[in-house]
Parts: sequence; structure tokens; C-alpha cells
Amino acid sequence: MIYFYSFLFCGTVCLIGQIILDNTKLTPGHITSMFVVLGSFLDVFNIYDKIVQTVGGGAMVPITSFGHLLSHGAMIKANDLGLVGLAMGMFDFTASGITSAIFFAFVFSLFFKPRN
Amino acid sequence: MTIKYHNVYLHSVGTVVGPYEHSGPLARRFDRFYDDLYMNELTFERAEVHLMRESIQITLDKLNKKKKDVNLFIAGDLQNQIASSCYTARELSCPFIGIFSACATNVEGIILAANMLENKQVNNALVSVSSHNMVSERQFRNPTEYGAPKPESATFTSTGGASCFLANEKSEIKITSGTIGRVIDMDQTDTNNMGACMAAAAGDTIYHHLVDLKKKVSDYDLIVTGDLGKYGKDILIEYMQKEYRIDLSQNYNDCGIILYDTNVQKEIQAGGSGPVCSALVMYGDIIPKMQRKELKKVLYVATGALFNPTTVFQKENVLSIAHAISLEVVE
Repeated sequence: MIYFYSFLFCGTVCLIGQIILDNTKLTPGHITSMFVVLGSFLDVFNIYDKIVQTVGGGAMVPITSFGHLLSHGAMIKANDLGLVGLAMGMFDFTASGITSAIFFAFVFSLFFKPRN
Repeated sequence: MTIKYHNVYLHSVGTVVGPYEHSGPLARRFDRFYDDLYMNELTFERAEVHLMRESIQITLDKLNKKKKDVNLFIAGDLQNQIASSCYTARELSCPFIGIFSACATNVEGIILAANMLENKQVNNALVSVSSHNMVSERQFRNPTEYGAPKPESATFTSTGGASCFLANEKSEIKITSGTIGRVIDMDQTDTNNMGACMAAAAGDTIYHHLVDLKKKVSDYDLIVTGDLGKYGKDILIEYMQKEYRIDLSQNYNDCGIILYDTNVQKEIQAGGSGPVCSALVMYGDIIPKMQRKELKKVLYVATGALFNPTTVFQKENVLSIAHAISLEVVE
């Protein structure tokens, strides 16, 4: 059942993105940012954590998960260290993702040329 | 403002294209083509210089002329600070004027050259333009890495280099007049719908050309605009009818649509654009038709959208301009 929920959740996120793209003048950049903010907002009352428990990977793949992890990390550090922790914990959970994105971009740029 | 010319003639043209242009309906009309967007160079930017350089070589070869025979070189392109033209000019070592008015650059260059030829300040001039799809995508559209779909109204920057050799000695095609356009602001901010921005500029220039020379649309066998694309073309026909009561529907077409088959080449979307787009259609299709006397009088209106990525992010309007020249077969 978790596979089905996973498919449904991730698909819905993509569907919303496509609908916005087709019917407004917003660019993919706008839409990604909106999803990050939305995911971050859903950290309130741990809503997004509950979603992840129910639908699994389907909630961790889309960009909303990035927003969620940003605020989640910030809140945990903030509990320990107060206001300073907000800034310190922001990239705690996302650091591995960002680092590997930079690293792999570098590695692939060594071997491949841009194509159309 | 329309200037009449009495002794400006077009002697030779040269065209080099990339893969998308070569798979379009005009495939066989171009002098040379490449199946790869790199054109055997290391970067897309160098590939664009390669295209312009080769188009010049072809143009001169057709006349058995050498680079040192060129009196004046006028060129423009879409790269930042018109880099492609400057690097091409380095190899020509003749007086060089670098120009920019986006996709209207080719006609701007021809008008500048024609004025100096008319006044016998130079005996001949070479006018070149180039654009490269991937250079434009990287610079001000969507780089491949961005991975974003484009709306239907977006145009596709053509890849190619095109040159023409003008002189005041007689040839079979004469440039009879040039109309310098005004910058028009239609309060548009969408860079994915440049056809709509440019249609009004094209309309303004066509209207002033006809009024200045006391001509009618039917005096021309063909009126072509630069690169309005399929939506821009319809907008222009409607705009001319509404604004000036001029019927364009009979003998008007748009180079952005002629260059590609948008029904088959889906990636082209609304049509071609870029300074080289209208130049390729003129030199590859329309000039040969004039040489065969299938067309005798042609009005060539190149349209350009004026903006840069920074001004767009700062929410400035996308401006537009159109310059026109009229060409005639010498009887």
C-alpha cells in the first residue's frame, strides 16, 4: 500500500507544478521555490514527518522534502542552542544532498560536454 | 525615416547552418551545414565564430575575392558584447563596425553599409550576422541544465552564420531603400513571447516605409518580417488591419516560420529567431528566387526584441525595433 501512496503523493506534487506552469507565467524557478516554502511550512506540528511515515519515498523525493529538512534541522538546533541554532542547523540534514550535488556536478563536468 | 539608394547592389551571399536548420524545409538551399552544434570547435561560442567566418569565406569565394579586397566589415550577433563578430573581425584586418539590434541586426548593417556605398565613401562592404542556439540558451534563455519546458509562444534561436557582399558596381539585385525603425514599447515583459512584442515594431516600420515612399503593399511581390513566429505573424496581420487599415494577408510571410517546419520540428515551438534567422531565409531562399526572377520586389523587415537578462529580472519591459530594406531585381 505504501507504494501506491508514494506514487499518489509524488504524482500530485508534480501535477500541481504542471498546472501552475501551464496556466500562469511563473517559471520553473518560481515553482520550485514555492514547493520549498510549502514543505518548510509543513514542518509545523511535524505534518511533513507524518506524511513521510505514511507515503515513504514519494514524499522524500520531491523538492518539498528539501524545504521540510531545512526547517526541521533549524528547529532541532534551535531547541539546543536558541536563536543561533536556527542559522546553524539550517543545512544539517540537507548538507549531504548539497555536497553530493556539487561533487557530482564537478565529476561529470570533467567527462562530459554540454549538449542540446 | 526612409533613405533611397541609387547605386547599392548585392553581389554575393554565403550561408552556413547547424543541424536544426539543415533538417528544415530549406535544407538544400544553404551553402554548408553541420550536423553537430560544436562545428568541430571546443565551445559553442567558438562554434559561432566558426559559422560567421565560414559564411564570409563562402561569400568571398563566390566572387573570387580575397579578404584584403573588403573595404568595410559590419557585423553583429547575440553574444554578450557581440563577441562573435569581434573575434571574426580579428581575422579580416579591415575597418570594422560592430552593431547590435538583436534580430534586426542584419538589416541595420545593410542600411549602414548602403549609406556609405551610396555616398561613395567605400566601394564595397561585407555585412555578417551569426547566432547559435546553445549560446543564446546559456546566456538569456534556458540552459540545458535548467531542464525546464518552454511555453508554446517561445521562439528558437537559429544556429548559423550569414554574410552578404555589397558594392556600388552593378549586379542583378539592387537595394533601393532602407527604413530605420523606432524603438517601440508595448508594455510586454514576457521574453517567451517576443513575437507579440515585435509585431508592433514591424507594423510601425512597414507603415512608415509605405507612407514615406508613397507605396502600397501590392507594390511588393513579397513582404517578409524577421522572426515574429507563428503567433507574432497573426498578431501583425491583425494589427496592420486594425491600426492602419492595411491588408497584409496576401503577400506577407515570416522568416521564423519559413526556416523550419514547426509541425514536424516540435522543438522549434513558435518559430525561429536570432539575427541569422531572417538572413538565412533571405540569402538561402528569397535572394535565389529573385535571381531566378520569380520575385522582383521584396520588402525585408527584420525585427528585434531589445532587452538583456538583467533588465528582465528588474521587471523592465521588453522593447522592440524593426528596420526594413527594399530589394529589386535589376531588369
